[in-house]
Amino acid sequence: MSLSRLSPAASGFALALLIMLSGPALAHEQAGIAGGALTGFLHPLTGPDHMIAMVAVGIWGAQLGAPAIWVLPITFPIVMAAGGVLGILKLPLPFQEPVIALSALVLGAAVAIRLKLPFAFAAAVVAVFAIFHGYAHGAELPHAANPLAYGIGFVVATGLLHLCGISIGLLLRWPVGDRLIRGMGAAIALLGGYFLVRSLGGMA
Amino acid sequence: MRIVFGHAAAAMAAAVATMASIAPAHAHLIGTRFGDFYAGAFHPITDLNDVLMWLALGLLAGSLPSERGRWLVVLFPLGLACGFVLSTSAGIAFGGAATNAVLIGMLGLALAAGTRIPAPLLGLIGFSLGVTRGIANAAAVEATTNLILFGAGLACAGYATITLLMALVTAFRRAEGGPATAWRGIALRALGGWIAAVGLMMIGFTYAGYGSA
Repeated sequence: MSLSRLSPAASGFALALLIMLSGPALAHEQAGIAGGALTGFLHPLTGPDHMIAMVAVGIWGAQLGAPAIWVLPITFPIVMAAGGVLGILKLPLPFQEPVIALSALVLGAAVAIRLKLPFAFAAAVVAVFAIFHGYAHGAELPHAANPLAYGIGFVVATGLLHLCGISIGLLLRWPVGDRLIRGMGAAIALLGGYFLVRSLGGMA
Repeated sequence: MRIVFGHAAAAMAAAVATMASIAPAHAHLIGTRFGDFYAGAFHPITDLNDVLMWLALGLLAGSLPSERGRWLVVLFPLGLACGFVLSTSAGIAFGGAATNAVLIGMLGLALAAGTRIPAPLLGLIGFSLGVTRGIANAAAVEATTNLILFGAGLACAGYATITLLMALVTAFRRAEGGPATAWRGIALRALGGWIAAVGLMMIGFTYAGYGSA
């Protein structure tokens, strides 16, 4: 049925519906304290590769148990902020996007196979990935945003993603929960693989 | 007839007296006599540096045994008042975005590391931080501001905030009663890690020329 065959009432209704569904076009980036906090908070949540890797860190920490389960949420934001400083200062760091995708692949696989590494080695692996994740956050600060508010928003969002992963890790108490978590790890690894291929394709 | 006129005259006089005594209604406390007190008390909320530093100091002091943080209840507001007086009377200026970032980072790191700071050092940190924030808040003073009220409001806000934060953290930690509740201490230290991360990023922002927050 072509649009010209619609009755005037139906056309009017469709027009009204379209107008109601439309949102404002924002020509400027979010400004000020509220804008900075919101932009910083949403930044880790709107990048799926970042988000799944952060959740995987929390789940893997829960699988590894003490001391990883409490050392990771304390130190990860600090190491990530160190990477953020590199990004803010625009110091060159090659292969950011592939390494971020690789982090999701590796951490997801570690969760899926329930990889037990010595704590120091696991911490080093996570720290390297944290530097790359932080770099991306630091390099993408909108110029209109309040820097302190942006930093608070992004650190809180990252911490909450870890907390989400650790909370998911509580399912380990039940055998079915363990299988579920390993399945989630596999899904994260697959997504990480997809992002890795896509980022390598973009580079080629 | 005379009685009717008498009543009308009385009603008219009452109406005139009522209308003559009408004063403008103040929707905001800033226009009342104690406005400057509230301006001083609420001014720290307008600066994220104050919010973060006061929060970090309260969490740090609360995470220590209560006898170590006790003097902070007096020393922090005293530091705020001293800093305010130094700035308004002697024109002393201190700090900047880099100093604030370093202070936030150090407080966060001390909390994240679970540092057992001795009472004299904690008192010195609290007093010094109070002085720097008192100087920073004095920048909001205008020519018409009542300095005593503004400074008193600032010091009272410092006292209330630090006391309440320390009490809340002490109560939160006191509920720790074994491995099942050990997460409380970890949660506090994780919060310290977040604060340190924000401070570290702020150092980067400052040196990259993003300016003060």
